[in-house]
Amino acid sequence: MDLLPTPEQQQIVDAAKTFLAREYPLGDALNGGGDAARAGSIALRAVAELGWLGIGLAESSGGVGYGLPEEALLFVELGRQLMPPCLLGAALGARVAAAAGAEDLCHAILAGERKVALGTPRSFAASVKATVSGEFLAFDTGDAELLLLTDDSGAALLEAGALELADADCIDPLLRASTLSCHASDTAAFVRAEAEPVFARGALLTGAMLLGIAEAVTDRAVAYAQEREQFGRPIGSFQAIKHNCADMAVRCECVRAMLYHASINAESLAAAAGFDLHCLKALAITAATLNAGTAVQIHGGMGYTEEMDIHLFVKRAQLLSPLFGGERYHLNKLLAEQRAD
Amino acid sequence: MNLDFTAQQLAFRDRVRDWLADNVPRQARPADGAEGREFDLAWQRTLYAGGWAGINWPTAYGGQGLDTFQQLIFLMEYTRCGAPGDHYRFNGLNLAGPTIIACGDEAQKQTYLPPILKGEVLWCQGFSEPAAGSDLAALQTRGVIDGDALVVNGAKIWTSWARFADWQQLLVRTDPAAPKHQGISWVINRMDNPGMQIRPIRDMAGGDDLHEVSYADVRIPLANVVGGLNNGWRVSMAQLAFERGTAFMPSQIETQKTIEELIELARTVRLEDGRLAIDDDHIAYQLATLRAETRSLLAMTLMGISRSERSGMPGPEGSMLKLFQSELYKRITALALEIMGPDRSLLGELTGRWPRAFLGSFANTLGGGTSEIMRNIIGERCLGLPK
Repeated sequence: MDLLPTPEQQQIVDAAKTFLAREYPLGDALNGGGDAARAGSIALRAVAELGWLGIGLAESSGGVGYGLPEEALLFVELGRQLMPPCLLGAALGARVAAAAGAEDLCHAILAGERKVALGTPRSFAASVKATVSGEFLAFDTGDAELLLLTDDSGAALLEAGALELADADCIDPLLRASTLSCHASDTAAFVRAEAEPVFARGALLTGAMLLGIAEAVTDRAVAYAQEREQFGRPIGSFQAIKHNCADMAVRCECVRAMLYHASINAESLAAAAGFDLHCLKALAITAATLNAGTAVQIHGGMGYTEEMDIHLFVKRAQLLSPLFGGERYHLNKLLAEQRAD
Repeated sequence: MNLDFTAQQLAFRDRVRDWLADNVPRQARPADGAEGREFDLAWQRTLYAGGWAGINWPTAYGGQGLDTFQQLIFLMEYTRCGAPGDHYRFNGLNLAGPTIIACGDEAQKQTYLPPILKGEVLWCQGFSEPAAGSDLAALQTRGVIDGDALVVNGAKIWTSWARFADWQQLLVRTDPAAPKHQGISWVINRMDNPGMQIRPIRDMAGGDDLHEVSYADVRIPLANVVGGLNNGWRVSMAQLAFERGTAFMPSQIETQKTIEELIELARTVRLEDGRLAIDDDHIAYQLATLRAETRSLLAMTLMGISRSERSGMPGPEGSMLKLFQSELYKRITALALEIMGPDRSLLGELTGRWPRAFLGSFANTLGGGTSEIMRNIIGERCLGLPK
């Protein structure tokens, strides 16, 4: 037993950190208000060439053949750097295509040739089956050719061109959002959750992205508390600030441990996998939203401005939280579960 | 990243399970202190005779010489079958013992370690003072060298089970001229040493295991100084790393059981309106949140073990675990009382364990370093914030 990443797994993390910091620095999003420009500049093909979109997919399906722990580690870094949800759309969409036997579609997604926007039901009446009905919300639309829609019973890929997407103002300035209504819309690929648990994987990977956010804002708050001086001292020397930072760090530690535990159990199909997943997502939402809010407070007035990047994390945390089940969904589920071990 | 136990570890687990099934005492631990002492020592002797004492202590001193993972496996089985808690054995097994293993000289190890494992002696701690609590390094109890002995004068407080202990790990100021962290020594003191007065203190949960201990010209051999004269702060920091690292592993695992028992309570207790407590959303969401946090406590424990297995010592992250666990336990017991309704005020009923646990839980965020001190440590040592 060893819960920590192996040296090989750590290499994946380090390589991702280096690449993302160099290619997609968050400063670009702040300078000149080029938020949408940053989103557009994220070259899906460049990311695809690194193998990231298929990192957790079997080699026989054109993936890299790592497991969920490696994929989760990568998505922590993607979340930390506020990378767009279409990367998650691609990772999950390729899985849907592979499971549905749509090989060409799978390869096109993995190669970054066809962008997959990430969608989510807006109401309980939505139904994701071989045909899809209901009201949905999708992120990273724009030039997306495909749309991934999931609920906890199944996952479907739809051709975006066949749908009527209506642009919607999005809380997150880095992303483009659309609303859409489906009325028995045809799917390009569909897979039931029993055959391929896309919803569960999505919940775990959004949990990973939320952890990235929780850690990113903690790092920013701590750095700011070290340099910002008031009353002649760095504000981090005051317990009111220090203790808030400590609580942020504990929330990160708690979610990181839970993420490792949950991704190992999910990968090995352990009996506790579902239970762990619900714990992870519920805790990750709390950590990301509370830490982002605390980071604004620690940055004081500057934290409330668009001149610093903290607001981007506040907004992305809110955007990611309800995807693949929000707080109530996962808390309800985990209380219904028998503890498995 | 894996949670797998090896075939050897699984075989070890089976042996532990079988032995515990045959040997765990059927009767409850007596509430009375003196009887509790005898119960604890007898159980320790049983463990020793069975070859289960000091799982990760060196074999040279009576331990089993096994690794942290085997200790974890042992504790998981131990908790699962409801074996007796450490109680009065806690200090010797988890604090004094490991500290002597880490910092003691050979003679000290030979003298003091085997009796702990053999169930012959109990230990207590003399760290805090009436005027030195969170600011532990401000301690004033003096130890003056006189020939081959230290002559100790002063007072200690919050010494758990002092009147039932045989030995004490004691911090005294041996160089008052030095900066406050540098003039302290960690010494081993006999609890029947002449010149000591022990006064029990009743706590808010109704117990009287805490004490104030005073020292008037108490002589302690210089040979009982552990880790070198005036080096006591470093020794006690090593010890606190154990205290905040692995010493609470049993209670971290025990908490996994406690939350399930609370959920079970909510499935049986009816609210004023006749519904089961668990069917109430307000209660259900709190239970679910606590269940998730308790699960993450287990994951954090495993991550902590993985870290210390790689680095050889518990790191400052142990303070996160200590803070998280003690605050979590408080919320669990507080929710139990909410679920119980008016019956929460009754200590005598079968459910009286919950109000007792609630009252006792206040000690968790005070003892072994307050939550505020934990947050200081996390802020300064883990995050690098200025003092």
